[in-house]
Amino acid sequence: MQRPRFVVPGRPVADHRPGTAHSYKRIMWGAEMLKLEKLTRRFGDNIAVNAANLEIPDGQMVGIIGKSGAGKSTLLRLLNRLIDPSDGQILFGDADIAALKGNDLRKWRSDCAMIFQQFNLVGRLDVVTNVLTGRLHDLPTWRAMAQIFTPRERAFAIQALDRLGMAHTATQRAETLSGGQQQRVAIARALAQEPRILLADEPIASLDPMNAKIVMDALRDINRNDGITVICNLHTLDTARQYCDRIIGMLDGRIVFDGTPDLLTTDMAREIYGADAGDFNEAATSTALSATKPARAVRVSA
Amino acid sequence: MADTNMAGGGVSAPRDAVALYETHRAALRASKRVWNILALAAFAVCLGLSVWISQFYPERLASGVPRIFEYFGTIIPDLEWSNLFAGRTEEGRAVPGSLTYWYTDFWTYAALIWETILMAITATLIGAAVAFVLSFPAASNLAPNSWVYILSRRFLELCRGIPEILLALVFVFMIGIGPLAGVIAIAIHTAGALGKLFSEVNENASARPIDGITAVGGTWMQKMVYAVVPQVAPNFFSYAMLRFEINVRASSIIGFVGAGGIGQELNRVISFYSDDRVLAVLILVVMTVTVIDLISERIRIGYIGRENFS
Amino acid sequence: MSIAALSGVTDADIAAARQSQPDAFTTPAGMVRKWTPLAIAVVYVFASMWYFDFARLLDASDRVLSLLYNFVVWRDMDTWAYRQIYVGISQTLAMAFLGTFLGTLGALGVGFLAARNVMPFAAVRQIVRRILDVLRGIDQLVWGLVFVRAVGLGPLAGVLAIFVSDLGTLSKLYAEAIENIDRKQVEGVRSTGAGPIAVIRYGFLPQVLPVFISQSLYFLESNTRSATILGIVGAGGIGMIIIERFRASLYDQVAFVVLNVLVLIFAIDWLSKRIRLWLIGAKHDG
Ligand SMILES: Nc1ncnc2c1ncn2[C@@H]1O[C@H](COP(=O)(O)OP(=O)(O)OP(=O)(O)O)[C@@H](O)[C@H]1O
Ligand SMILES: [Mg+2]
Repeated sequence: MQRPRFVVPGRPVADHRPGTAHSYKRIMWGAEMLKLEKLTRRFGDNIAVNAANLEIPDGQMVGIIGKSGAGKSTLLRLLNRLIDPSDGQILFGDADIAALKGNDLRKWRSDCAMIFQQFNLVGRLDVVTNVLTGRLHDLPTWRAMAQIFTPRERAFAIQALDRLGMAHTATQRAETLSGGQQQRVAIARALAQEPRILLADEPIASLDPMNAKIVMDALRDINRNDGITVICNLHTLDTARQYCDRIIGMLDGRIVFDGTPDLLTTDMAREIYGADAGDFNEAATSTALSATKPARAVRVSA
Repeated sequence: MADTNMAGGGVSAPRDAVALYETHRAALRASKRVWNILALAAFAVCLGLSVWISQFYPERLASGVPRIFEYFGTIIPDLEWSNLFAGRTEEGRAVPGSLTYWYTDFWTYAALIWETILMAITATLIGAAVAFVLSFPAASNLAPNSWVYILSRRFLELCRGIPEILLALVFVFMIGIGPLAGVIAIAIHTAGALGKLFSEVNENASARPIDGITAVGGTWMQKMVYAVVPQVAPNFFSYAMLRFEINVRASSIIGFVGAGGIGQELNRVISFYSDDRVLAVLILVVMTVTVIDLISERIRIGYIGRENFS
Repeated sequence: MSIAALSGVTDADIAAARQSQPDAFTTPAGMVRKWTPLAIAVVYVFASMWYFDFARLLDASDRVLSLLYNFVVWRDMDTWAYRQIYVGISQTLAMAFLGTFLGTLGALGVGFLAARNVMPFAAVRQIVRRILDVLRGIDQLVWGLVFVRAVGLGPLAGVLAIFVSDLGTLSKLYAEAIENIDRKQVEGVRSTGAGPIAVIRYGFLPQVLPVFISQSLYFLESNTRSATILGIVGAGGIGMIIIERFRASLYDQVAFVVLNVLVLIFAIDWLSKRIRLWLIGAKHDG
């Protein structure tokens, strides 16, 4: 099969006129489909992602669940091309993402924002500069090197921060913030990229329930209002059920479940989390669910 | 001590195991004793050879040591308390026994010390700039590919491998006597020494921010500027300041081969005169080095403190 | 909220953001503050390049080329007086070894005098420390020059220079090691009624000896390097041969000697690493 040549469309200058923002994305991309074909990644003998096939249409909110070591992070890192696939294809529309190099690859990464469990902010830079790093792909070299940003870019960053309720910390150093605050700054950075897709690798795994809810609500808001596809690794089943349109279950590198939350039965969940482990019994499932009941109540009232 | 411990542990074990252990232990001790004796013998041979080769014989020492004290006697100034602070006479002559007389050439020395410090600053700045640029490709976790990694490492090793005074000798030959040769020699050595330290700091930088900048689509340079530099800057700064202290010492002696600074004068007064001028220059050099150390330490601690507690 | 896009940010938005977070925007004063240190450094470097006359470097290019040529093209290699070269190298080694050995012996005594937990008289300690500061404050090369004047050209001056400067540095390091020891072991020995010498022998030495030995081995390494340099001021060893032949324009021989010295330094580094490993290993099964 011949690989389609990928041309990352340059952002047309005309589109920076105010008011055309809306049409820009439609013209640029249309409603593209993200497609994985037999995507595989090996680490030595260990197959972290094993022949994954997926089709994710534009604008979905997808949750990926699975036990530790199932390959969730590896899958997301493959999508952002932080690591290279050993085999298989990643297609976005006609574009062969797995074959991108150099400038095209960076362009793809800027369109495909990533949020990390450990936030991965630059602790010693202030918050607004951290958010502005989301603009790096668009900056002339000299401005990027000298860390000079236009007032428009700065205002944009402040708006992104404001949307997550973090504008008041703009001049603080990122390392002085709490974990939940840092994650919100990281989401603001992702927004500053004007991404098409937002990948989140266990964004709430190191947060308390309150902050976890803020972060998940923000992700859903971005998905609903901006039409950005969100693909989110989650540890807890109930969060995935609660927020996602679609749940993908991974086990030992394979995709073993793909469907809407209501299709995910307890039996199915037990299989994904490893029924043979023995300690994942019905009781454990039910406690896991009951423990999250209050959170669900909060959401209903909100 | 180990003896009693082990014996105590062996009580519950079967007899033959204890015996086996004891014989094994005895053999071990014996072989260790042999090694110790061999090592001692090797040491004695080295010592003997060294004494012979460097002609470090008691009679030479006996004739040499008094001369050392004699020499130190000659470089001590004849200060007289009564006119220690006496100025110059009507004819502009300094009074023998006064400080003014001892430090007749003070302003010459002061100018040379000033030059020495300027040499150290310039060499540190240039060397640190080169080290800064090369420390990123020379860090194993940051190098974009193995070629630039190997090349930049080798280059830095070359820079710090050759002693700066040998480099200065070569540069004096090439561009003539004067501080320029010294500045270049010290700058090259600084680039090598700081480059190694900087790249080690880089190798300890956290990978998380770097991943973060990679994920937003940053280029290699952007990753360095945004994710690495903020992490390593304080360490770079204090290493550079420490190197500056070392370079002040280096530039105060590099004049021995004609490469400028107070060293040239020091060499001259030691080689041509055996009088109080030697001590005069030596005191100035030691004072300069000490004062620079103190100032630099202040700046370092002040900067690090500000970085960590702001 | 509408779809966020940079191009959708209006001037009114910018003004509003500036209003709410004025410090997040750059001001002329902020730019000046940010760039001044770099600007000063750049201006200083260029000014000092002018002051030190860097342009001379450009005029020297033909000399550089001829020197490089003479470094790599070796001629008349059978007339090179190899004996003298290798005597020089062994002299360098001997100087480094003897100087370090004497420095270690001296520091063993002086280090205890300068340690707070051994020397009860603060005055003695302070005097010893100030003398050590002076010994360290004067560069080894200066000591070499001084001793050449005092005892004449040759390795004796070099040994003395290494001894004196090592005494200054090693004593300080030893004193620090002694001050950092575990007090309980010392008290154990003292509680048996041992005298001060016995306390040092059984309470202190076992704890500090490994540190002392590895420090001295490091100094042996660095002294091998500096013993090369000492010859430049006439204090014996291979440095004297380097500078003699350099002055006689025998650049190919200089290159040969320097290569030999680099090999020697490499060998000493390797050997001292092995010895250190051996000693530390011996400590473990002892
Ligand atoms: N850089 C790497 N080198 C070697 N093996 C790796 C690497 N990254 C991941 N792996 C392996 O790949 C497998 C999948 O890891 P991955 O991090 O994707 O799991 P995960 O589902 O994200 O787990 P968790 O929930 O603990 O984050 C694991 O067996 C892991 O050991
Ligand atoms: Mg993971």
